[in-house]
Amino acid sequence: MPNIVEVSGLKKFYKNFEAVKGVDLTVKEGEIFGFLGPNGAGKSTTINMLSTIIKPSDGTAKINGYDNVTEKNKVRASIGLIFQESTLDEKLTANENLMLHCKFYGIDKSLREERIQEVLEIVDLTDRRKSIVETFSGGMKRRLEIARGLLHYPKVLFLDEPTVGLDPQTRAHIWEYILKLKKKAGITIFLTTHYMDEAEICDRVAVIDHGKIIALDTPEILKSQVGGDMIEVSTGDNAAAKKLIEERYETEVTESENNHLAFRVDNGSEFLVDFVKEFDIPIKSVNLRRPTLNDVFLHLTGREIREETLSKKDLARKGMRRRFH
Amino acid sequence: MEGIIAIWQRDVIKFFRDRPRLIGSFAMPFMFLILFGSGMSGAMSAMLGGSNQAGPLADFDFVEFMFPGIIGMTVFNTAIFSALSVVQDKEFGYMREILVSPISRVSIAIGKVLGGSTVAVFQGLMMLIFVPFIGVSLSFGMVLELIPVMFLVAFTISSLGLLISSSLKTTQSFQMVIQVLIFPMLFLSGALFPLNGMPSWMNFIVKINPLTYSVDMFKKVILQPEQMAPALRQAMGLDLSIFNHVITFLEEILVVGVLGAIFVIAATIKFSNSEA
Repeated sequence: MPNIVEVSGLKKFYKNFEAVKGVDLTVKEGEIFGFLGPNGAGKSTTINMLSTIIKPSDGTAKINGYDNVTEKNKVRASIGLIFQESTLDEKLTANENLMLHCKFYGIDKSLREERIQEVLEIVDLTDRRKSIVETFSGGMKRRLEIARGLLHYPKVLFLDEPTVGLDPQTRAHIWEYILKLKKKAGITIFLTTHYMDEAEICDRVAVIDHGKIIALDTPEILKSQVGGDMIEVSTGDNAAAKKLIEERYETEVTESENNHLAFRVDNGSEFLVDFVKEFDIPIKSVNLRRPTLNDVFLHLTGREIREETLSKKDLARKGMRRRFH
Repeated sequence: MEGIIAIWQRDVIKFFRDRPRLIGSFAMPFMFLILFGSGMSGAMSAMLGGSNQAGPLADFDFVEFMFPGIIGMTVFNTAIFSALSVVQDKEFGYMREILVSPISRVSIAIGKVLGGSTVAVFQGLMMLIFVPFIGVSLSFGMVLELIPVMFLVAFTISSLGLLISSSLKTTQSFQMVIQVLIFPMLFLSGALFPLNGMPSWMNFIVKINPLTYSVDMFKKVILQPEQMAPALRQAMGLDLSIFNHVITFLEEILVVGVLGAIFVIAATIKFSNSEA
């Protein structure tokens, strides 16, 4: 399959800070491509450069064969964008939001009605077509945004943290829609996320940290690079247990937030039998699992991807919204 | 072209949907006209006519004098505040939806200016509801003449608004800048009192204030000064002149139009260069 996104040496620096330090990647047509990394790793900056919102400081990006700097309008017509924050006009109805989008993208008049019906059906909002967006729940707004992003049949749909701030049930729904979409329209999806389970759905994942891609492959291959199994234990004295495990089994132990110690072994099921018998510190619980993408990230950087709390700027912005609505 | 219409349409739909804004926009001009106008009218007549109430100055009616100014003020306020929507769109994120679409930046800027102008013309026309209560006689022909004049003024001021809003990121800063701008422009435009016998530095500001010419156009249409006695015309400050040349209606159109063109071009350039 041909490459629909081609990026080489893409960089963005601000006055005293390098947000993206040279990104190279290609995305094939019809692929779900995930951009995984902690907040502030440069995910949004990269997506903003790809979608022509900000100008790259260096390097090139091509989408659907068009250059992101010299052929901006052609790139814009080829992509759909769903941002972290809502970009709906909440004072207008769902229909008006979609109709405006049709006009912005120059969709032929005779096609508009049909397209709006179609996208509303995909996200199950047909019966709310005439409602003011303000009355929608967070999940419904997100779905409407996805619907709007599809109206002009983009070649590539960019989703910047599509499910951030949504409850698990709504998240699952949104993913249902996204997968439905991929099957139906064969659209290429480029998404950023810091949720591990979401990254698992992707065909390929690029792990980004401090503005650089540190690994790029299918989730399976990435996980097999970590290899073996992961053991998680909780004990009466974690500090002592950590020391003991590190000495006895010569493996690196990390402490996770919920008071668990995690470490990697080659053959988990065999290891576990002896481990429980031999271990001197009382064990509260023990768990064997396959490595996840989080372990991949940990393996590559020595850190975990954590869901960070809202930054001050986000909080201020939220407060502002409340005041004006 | 369709992009311009879409941007314009959105602002117009939102204007008519926002009832509190629609009603609230009546409050200010109404209070100025009734409280300020009626309250000052006795004092103004006394000052102009003194105890001698005979002669041409006896016809001076302050509320009538203020009415074109109030229309000017309404058009001005609505037009300049329409640019607030640009800042709000930035804050609430909708601007990104517009900016990542294939419509050109120029179309967006023009759509915004036209949207603001249309809304301001509607607001200005709504002020005509007061006509029967204040004793101004307004013919249908005058109203037809008023609409394009309102539009021209609204277009110029909306462009100025867009120029200001393009460089600002928050509604607070926008409101701050506009407040600082609105008051001197309004007070030194002849909208609220006749511009007679001012200190020369103030007179200078009056003459470079685009609102002066805008308000004077409304006065010329509504008050028909050419039918007034020269002394009354003089007292009402209707002989606006530069270097002893009395400015004609056509010249005023030219001044406001040229300023509008400058503002809209500057605003479009400024807006085009801003990142989402």
